This record gives sequence, structure tokens and C-alpha cells, in this order.
Amino acid sequence: MDPAGLTAPPAGAGDLAGSGAPPGSGASAGSGASAGEPPDRSGLGVAEFRAELRAFLGERHPGSTPRDRAERLAFLRAWQATLTDLGWVAPGWPRRWGGMGLPTGLQAVYHREMALGRAPVPPTNAVGIVGPTLLRDGTDAQRERYLPPMLRADELWCQGFSEPDAGSDLAALRTRAVLADGVYRVTGRKIWSTNAPVARRMLLLARTGTPESRSRGITCLVVDMAAPGVQVHPLRDMTGALAFAEVVLDDVPVPEADRIGAHGDGWRSARVTLGHERSTSLTAAALRYQRVVGDLVELARRRGRTADPAVRQDLARMVTGARLLELNGARVLGRVLAGRDPGPVSSVSRLQHAEFEQRLHEVAVRLLGADGLLDAADPRMRTDGRWVRGFLRTRASTIGAGTSQVQRNTIAEKVLGLPADREET
Amino acid sequence: MTATVSTGAGLPGDPTEGLPEDELPDDAAELPQAFAFGPEHDELRATVRRFLADRSPEAEVRRLMETDAGYDPAVWQQLAHLGLTGLLVPERHGGAGAGCVELQIVCEEMGRALLCAPYLSSAVLATSALRYAGDEAARARYLPGLADGSVIGTLAVTEESGSWRAEDAATRAESDGAGGFTLTGEKLFVLDGAVADLLLVLASTDSGPGLFAVAADALGLAREPMATLDVTRKQARITLQGTPGTPISSIEDAAAGLAAALDVAAAALAAEQAGGARRVLEMAVEYAGVREQFGRPIGSYQAIKHKCADMLLEVESATSAAYAAGWAVDARSPEVGVLASLAKAYCSEAYYRCAAENIQVHGGIGFTWEHPAHLYFKRATSTQILLGSPTYHRELLATRLGI
Repeated sequence: MDPAGLTAPPAGAGDLAGSGAPPGSGASAGSGASAGEPPDRSGLGVAEFRAELRAFLGERHPGSTPRDRAERLAFLRAWQATLTDLGWVAPGWPRRWGGMGLPTGLQAVYHREMALGRAPVPPTNAVGIVGPTLLRDGTDAQRERYLPPMLRADELWCQGFSEPDAGSDLAALRTRAVLADGVYRVTGRKIWSTNAPVARRMLLLARTGTPESRSRGITCLVVDMAAPGVQVHPLRDMTGALAFAEVVLDDVPVPEADRIGAHGDGWRSARVTLGHERSTSLTAAALRYQRVVGDLVELARRRGRTADPAVRQDLARMVTGARLLELNGARVLGRVLAGRDPGPVSSVSRLQHAEFEQRLHEVAVRLLGADGLLDAADPRMRTDGRWVRGFLRTRASTIGAGTSQVQRNTIAEKVLGLPADREET
Repeated sequence: MTATVSTGAGLPGDPTEGLPEDELPDDAAELPQAFAFGPEHDELRATVRRFLADRSPEAEVRRLMETDAGYDPAVWQQLAHLGLTGLLVPERHGGAGAGCVELQIVCEEMGRALLCAPYLSSAVLATSALRYAGDEAARARYLPGLADGSVIGTLAVTEESGSWRAEDAATRAESDGAGGFTLTGEKLFVLDGAVADLLLVLASTDSGPGLFAVAADALGLAREPMATLDVTRKQARITLQGTPGTPISSIEDAAAGLAAALDVAAAALAAEQAGGARRVLEMAVEYAGVREQFGRPIGSYQAIKHKCADMLLEVESATSAAYAAGWAVDARSPEVGVLASLAKAYCSEAYYRCAAENIQVHGGIGFTWEHPAHLYFKRATSTQILLGSPTYHRELLATRLGI
């Protein structure tokens, strides 16, 4: 299988390519929403739920994900539309907003079965990041307008958070939004915005307070990517892909009705994630990694390396790494199911995922020997190109959505209680 | 879900069975991927922690580590009264009939407190060897004494080579033709070997390796303490010269039983390591919060923060790995061997790194004899090798997965 979806940061910052599809084009995802409500599965027993999900996957699994980025985007959007129409999307969201409303235990079963069934990983950051923000801080009118097409991948969203001078120090962002007569006028530059070339909307953080106001003077807005003054400049990343972009905003109008949460309260909104959704989906990512480790063992076998004691040590370490991700997730889940707080283990998971997938691909490329010097496009790499692609792609794992260094700071301060060495974040 | 408590004997499943590559077993998809402790476990932990705070504070650890015996018989009796020495012993043999998960809670707390006592040797290694490798007669004969603490047992496996593999034993056991054996050879690194009343000795016979019960006062038995790096856990050299021993089971069953017992011991030791690692993390964080240099607490510097964050990641992962192995033992999962080796390899390295980083965070004071950091560092070092090094267990893990 194509591991591309596996090496994306599991928190939901999807690994989507730029494609030729025009912004706002929902056509590729198929048209016509389902007739009527999908069934409520939140009250099912584990066995029954699992049987239904397996039956669904047996009938509707779309096959392997295309490698070409444009084809792949269309394929994944179609898959997400299928999931949505048949009620198999957003397991932790309330049913009123299109989710499955599942209790935590069934959410875990959902992610587990999707991983074991090798279901494609849904293509948007909708379920994990943007959606939860709207669910918590949006108005009903905003939810009604934005959530259904977001969930179905009819409208893709991007995030406008980082700026050229505000990366890890996001609270230093300078893009200005000035409110007058019910309209914010937004001017500034956003960068590393995944999916921006194909996105219909952007969840934006802009400064509405004084330049020194840091996290206290930030407001969260929804930007229509087709609005006047929005320019998208695709950026080529080190893998050669045009997956993200710089977005220049020049006096872009945003109606006040498109503000999420209160004026000046955007920092808090942007930090929303559904805790349980995240812990259960990390468990699913851990299961997928176990399959990838199985593939790594296969690679070592095919290349006749499994008798080498050093290779065996490497493989055992990778098996261990993947199992630990799963076991840590299982401990979080166990605590949540028992009505306890998730505990400190939940806070180290993302750091651990990021570092693990880097190491995994480093081991794979070492196993490839001289072939590891080849680009994935070389004919010799028809089978093993995925490892080289992943090797490059996972350099971003310890950078995107907060570098591993910033995460360590956060863990040290928020979990271990060590003193801060700088202003609030 | 709560831990299943296994009572009675039996092998914890075939440890050589590997992980299916594409799909986990169907029953594994139920919900055992979630594991958490119940209130009864919290209570056990609190009881043991209180007891150790009272009876095994640092001053006691330092006093006992300087003694030859290395433990306090009065504390040992109290451990027995609390039911802890017989935790793994089935009820019909006078024990608590508890599971590996309960044992791990106790070992975790003992690892935190660096308790000096023959617990791992007697209540874990000797007891597991009898449970998994002993026949019913041997269990009935020896387990009650181990359970009530009146007998201290140990398991003598390693020799000059340091190997934990049954087939590597050079010590010989010769049949006397009447059901008895005489043993000749040298055993090294035997935990609490100088104080044990009952030694379960691995020796090779013409029909394979066997385990033999040898009494401390047996003919031709000599034992002397080894001078060890970690003095909180004593080790001994045992020489046997025509020493009489009684097999605890038929020779054919011994190797598999020993492997199963060592898996349980690995799960217990991994929990001890996780407990020790968590304690040194707490020490490091506490010190980093109060020690000031350049006008600021050193814990406000990223170099120290990142060390502590990495330690937390390892401590949490070690805890998960250890518990998973214990849960597998109690569930008689076919994955026991895989998870035991995984836990022993990972927890060994995690504890070592955390203990080393704790010294570094403490700076000069952490290098002094008076500070406890070195006691944990030495325990981390000794437990890394005990039951097989991380490299050994990773190799075993690969083999057990069919790689």
C-alpha cells in the first residue's frame, strides 16, 4: 500500500497535494448528498458495530490510493463523501453536525477497524482541527453553513496560521485585521499553508490587538479563498511536491459574521482539538505504523538482510517503536474509558509519533543500501520508492504543527511544571 | 477493563508464536487495547508505597546495602504478612493467587524505593520457576515456604558466559540411578545466592537442561558474595561439587517452563525499572525547579527542559510496555514472549538513560556518594544486564516474531 497517508502528522494536518482542481470545486467528490439521515450507530454493541463497519468496508473499500497527486486528491475526496453519506465519518462529533456521536470505546473500534481494513485516510483536516474549532466556538449559523460541505470534502479548508516571521513563535503573527462597519479588512502573509491551492476556505489567525499584544490580540476568521485580494503562491517542498503555499492577503474583506468566537479570543479557539478524537485517532495511526513495520520486515526479507544481527536489532527497535505508540494509546484510552483523565502519556504521543516515523524511514533507506541513493522515479525503485519518498517527507514530521523542540518545551512546562523562560504562549 | 487474576499453574501461552503481519487476532480487536487499573490496584499501590516509605527510606537502603545479607529479616517478615511474598503463589499452596499485574505494581513501588530484599529472587524468580517449570509435587513441597516467607529461594541460571539460555548451562547434573542427581559446576551472578535457603539450579543432563532444587546446606555446595557495582541487590558465586539436587519436573518440561518463568520475571523486572525511572525523573524535575544558576532556575533552560521531556516520554513508554507484558501474562496471550522481551529491552534502556540524565541534571551534587542518584544509576545498570541485555532481548524479540 501507499504509505503516504501514514507519514502525515496524525493530528490531522493532511498530506495533500496541490492539484489542478479549481478552488471550491466540489464536483470531483461526486454530487448529491445522501437522501435522509444516516443510521445512528452510537448505541450498538462492540461486536455489532464492528460487523457493520467490516461489512461497509467489504462493500465500499475503494481500493488502493493512486500515487499521482491530483488523482489521489479526487480519490480521497470521493472516499470522504462516501463515508459521510453512509454515516461513517467523524466518529467523535455530535450527530447533529454530521458526526457519528460515538462513545469513546466505539471510536477506538472505529479507528482500529479502519486501520486494520486499510481504509484510505480521509483527506482533510476537517475532522481533526478545523471542524472541532467550529464545533466549540462557532455559532449555529456558521456550523450549518460550513460543516456539512467540510465534512463531505466538497469544500476543502486550509489553515492560515504560520507567517514568515511567526513559525514556532506563532503568537508573534502580524497579519492585521481591522474591523470597520461590520467587515474585517485583512492584510498580511501566511505561509506553509497545506492545501491552500485547492482550498475553498481558510481558517485564519490575524492580529486585531496592538502589535505587542501577543496571544491576547488575535482573532480567528474564516476567509473565502475566492475573495478579492487573496493570492496563492504554491511552494515546492523538499520532496518536489507543491503541497503547500504562501498566501498573500491584500485588504481582503471578511464579514464580521465569519469571525469564530469573540474578537481578540482567536488564540484560544485555534488551540481546540477534540482530546478523545485525537487519542483514538493516534491509536489508529499506531496500528497503521505496525503494518508499515511489517512491510519493513518484508523489505529486509526480500533483500536478504534478515540474518544480519545489526539489521535484526534495527527491526526489533522499529517493532518496539510501533508497539509503544499503540500501547501508550491504549493506556490513554483505558484511562478515559475508566472515567479518569488521560494522564501525561497523552501529551508525549505526538512527539513520539513524529520521531518514530523519521527513524522508521531512516532504517528503511539504510536497508536499501545503494538503491537508497535513487529517486523514487528510477525504474529500480518501482517497489521500494515509497521508502525514499517517506524518508524525505518525514523530515517535516518534527517541524509541522509545532516543532519537536517546542513540543518538548510544552511538555516540560505544562506537564512537568518546569518554569517558563519566556512570555506566555 | 480490569486485570484478570490468574490462579493456579499453567504456561502463559506459547511464547514463540509471532504477530500476524496483516491482521491482529480477532479477539484482540475487542477492546483489550485499552488497559487501566481499577480502584483495587490503586489501593494495593498505596499500601505498598506507604509501607516502603516507612520501612525502606533512603537511610535504610544505605544501611542494608553495606551489610552482607543485604536485607532486613524483620521487613521480609512484614512483606510476608502483607501477602506480598506469596503474591504469585496459588491459593492452594498458601499464596494470594494474584496475577502478574498485581506483582508489577509491587515491583514498580520497590523499584522506586530501591528496596533491599530478596523479593525478585524469591517471590518472582524462584516462585515463577516452580509455577511454570515445576511439577505438582515440587510446587506442593516448595511454594508454601516461599509464600509465607519462611524460605528464601533463588534461581541459579547464569555462569561464566552470562547466558540466560537453558541450553547454555555448563553445570552438569548426573543421575544417581535412583531418581536423584548430583550437580557439579559453577554458577555466577546468583541473586541473593548467599542468603537463599533454596536454590533452583539450571544444569545440563544427557537428556537436556533441567532445574534442580538444592538445599543451602547441601553437601559440596559453596557460596560466596560477589563484589557488585549495585550493592542494593546482592549476587553470589555458587560452586557445586557432586552436590545432591532434586529435579523439580521431568527434564523434558524444564526448558520451556524456565523460558515461561523468565518471561514473567522479565515483566516484573521491567515494572521495577519503570518505577525506578519514574522516581529519577521526579528527582530531576524537582531539582531543576529549585536549583538556580545565572539567576534563573536551571529548569527554565531548554537544554534541561528537553532532557526532562525526553525522560517523561521514556518513562511513560516504559510503563506502557511493562504493563502490556503483565497484562499478556495474566490473559495467557500468545504474545507473552514478544511483549516480555520488548518490555525488558525497552525498560532497561529507558531506566539507564533516565538515571544517567538525572545525574547530569543534578551536576556536581549528583556525582557525590551522599546523593541517591548513583544508587539508581547502579540499579539501572545491574537490571539492564539481569535476565539478558537489551541487545539479547531485541534478538529474542525478532526471533519470536519469526524474523
